[in-house]
Formats: sequence, C-alpha cells, structure tokens
Amino acid sequence: MTTSWWEIKINYIPELEDNIFWRLQEFGCQGTALAKEKDAWFIKAYIPTITKEAMDLAALSLWLKQDFILEGDNSLDISWKIIDDEDWASSWKNHWQPMEIGDRFCIYPAWIEPPKESDRIIIRLDPGSAFGTGVHATTQLCLESLEMRLDEPEKELVIADIGCGSGILSIGARFLGAKQVYATDIDPLATLATKENSELNQVNDIQVFDGSIDQLKLIPGLKFDGIVCNILAEVIKTLIPDMTEMIKPDGWVILSGILVDQSIDISTILEKNGWMIASLWKRGEWCCLNGRRRQ
Amino acid sequence: MAKKVVALIKLALPAGKANPAPPVGPALGQHGVNIMAFCKEYNAKTASQTGMIIPVEISVFEDRSFTFILKTPPASELIKIAVGIKTGSKEPNRNKVAKITKAQLREIAQTKMPDLNANDIEAGMKIIAGTARNMGVTVV
Repeated sequence: MTTSWWEIKINYIPELEDNIFWRLQEFGCQGTALAKEKDAWFIKAYIPTITKEAMDLAALSLWLKQDFILEGDNSLDISWKIIDDEDWASSWKNHWQPMEIGDRFCIYPAWIEPPKESDRIIIRLDPGSAFGTGVHATTQLCLESLEMRLDEPEKELVIADIGCGSGILSIGARFLGAKQVYATDIDPLATLATKENSELNQVNDIQVFDGSIDQLKLIPGLKFDGIVCNILAEVIKTLIPDMTEMIKPDGWVILSGILVDQSIDISTILEKNGWMIASLWKRGEWCCLNGRRRQ
Repeated sequence: MAKKVVALIKLALPAGKANPAPPVGPALGQHGVNIMAFCKEYNAKTASQTGMIIPVEISVFEDRSFTFILKTPPASELIKIAVGIKTGSKEPNRNKVAKITKAQLREIAQTKMPDLNANDIEAGMKIIAGTARNMGVTVV
C-alpha cells in the first residue's frame, strides 16, 4: 500500500525558522527538512494527503504570511504538491547492493536475482518501511552471533526474535537450523515485512506476532533456547525481565541496537537478572552483547 | 584526503521516533543514504529525550556515507515547556494562551545560542520573543 503526501515547500529565512517549524508542527507535520535547491535553501515538510485538503494548506499559507508580516518580513514563498512514497523509497534502494555478512550469509535485495548456486546462505529481503537490511552494524553483529550460537544443527532450537523488523534475523536463524522461530514487532509494517520476506525466502513456518515478548508469554509452555533482540538500549532494558522468564535454564540471548557507552547499563541489568555476559562485540560505536543464563 | 560533502541536510524530528516516512525518506533517499541506518542511529542517540523535537544536521559524503550532529530543540518546544502549555494559539493576535518572562526568554536564548543566528544574547532573546508572540505567548 502506498501513501501519498503533501510536500510543502517554504523559503528559508533563518530568523523565522523556529516560527515556521512551530506552524508546521501545529499543522500536523512530523518533522521538517532543510535542503538546498539551485543555490537557495528551502524548508520542506510533509503530511499525508488523507489528513489535509488543499483548502487546509491555503489556511496554513495565510497563518505563515501573518507570522512573516509580524516579524517585518514580506517574502513568504510557499508552494505544495503531492508526492508518492515510491518517489523516495525506490531512490535509496537503487544504491543497495548484495552484501556478504559473517562467514556464511549474503543478503540480496528482493529486486536483484540471486545466483542459482552459492557457497553462502542467501537471504532475500525487501525491508519496506521496516528496519533491517543487513547494512547496519547491529544487524551484522546479530547475524554473526547467530552463526556462532547455531553451529550445532543437531539441536532442535526454539528461537525468539523480538523487534523483528524486516525479519532478517528470524530468517537467518531458520536458515542456520533453528527448528522453530517466533518473531514479534510492535510495528505492523514490520510484522508484514517479516511475513512477506519469510515467503520470499520460502521459510513460511516462522510464527509472527504483532506486539512484543508479552505476546509470546501468552503461549502456554513456550520457552526459548535463544532470544535475539536488536532494537534500542532503552527498550531492551525494560524487556530483560520478560526475556529471563521466557528462557530455558541454559538459554542464551543476543542483544544489539546498543551504543558502546550504553553497554555497561545493559550488562548490569542482565547480571542482576541472573545472566552472565559471554562476549561483547563492537563495530564502530555499536555493540552486541552475548549473554548466557546462569545455571 | 577528507571525503567530499555532497549534501547538508537539516531535519527536525521527534526524539527516538525517526522512521523512513517523510521527511526522512525524501530528504535522505534522494542522496542514496541508508535511511534505516540513519533512523536507528538517531533514535538511539535521542531515545532519552523522547517527547522533544531534536533537530539534526546530516552531512552526506560522495560515497553515500553520512555523519550527523544533534542540535538544540526548536524555540517553540522550549517555550511550551517553560510556560507549561501543550499548544500555542492559532490566532496569536486575538487569543493569548500564556505569559513568558524576560528571564525565561534569556534562559531559552542561552540554551539556543549555539544554533541561533544572533551575535549576542539580547539578539537571541529578540528572536525567541518573536516566536513566543506568534504562538500567542505574551512577553512580560
């Protein structure tokens, strides 16, 4: 499904930047962009066309005109047009190329045909609006950690992927031999992307749930051999008690989305909840914590 | 040799909540920047300020890599916090919604000084006062 947006363009007056921003925010725009076009700077803001009509934009124009005049400036130049999601979504995808990760994986954008034979595990992905393309350091660290953890395919492991995004880690875990994978995300676009990417990779047995780990707690008797969670440190902190409750006695956890300077906080919380830190891998300013449940 | 900057983009986004939807998508997508990578990094660095708008200035290099620096919140956000309102007035000439003191203006100007186009604190206060007036906040 594509959404169309009003793109509102306003000439940039440094002294009025905050005023303009405030008006746009009141109007319902989530954020603004300042960009240069042909030697002139413009403020651009966006709002879904389903929420505003052209008449509303005319009213916004009048309010801004009034703001400019109150500040002794009569130079307001405002225009608007409709753009589709596709305009920009496809533009950055043009630069996304197949990428090898760790010792075993190669990530292929869904729109590029992979080779028929490869010595690597190929994951095909279309992330849509969800996180997880394999380009980010935290995704790479998680996939590499999964390679390490899932090197004994004879074990029938049950894995949870909390904050599954595009589904890249769930699919990776399944390809590495996990018997069952449960994936959750609070973003419905992410769970949709995980389902679609699972189908694309022909691993249709990944169980996908809207919500967080609390949804998995509702399944009687479900415990995990391993949990992978690549979101953000602030959220991970709140999920550790639930992860502890859902893990088998000798289970492990892979946590990323954590900046290096946030790792001490997370390690401390893990240890307080009965985990020991097996390793901490760094890439740039990001890190990945591998923890094991203390027996 | 230093990498060449091909674009300088400034975004004002809700802390901890950046996603690939506009304005991030159109602003970064046209320069080939990995949108998800930017969102993740921005959200990680601003998660502790959730509820605020945190502007960010992004430098995009010729190899499509990027760096960014976070800026101070917009004056309107700081004014709302200082005077305890959730929204301003749609008709600032007629309907006033709150009052702000010169001391509060000075405090906001001091916070904003690194990002304001002002040579001194008095000029900074004048800019903040202008935003306050347009929000229907009276300077007393």
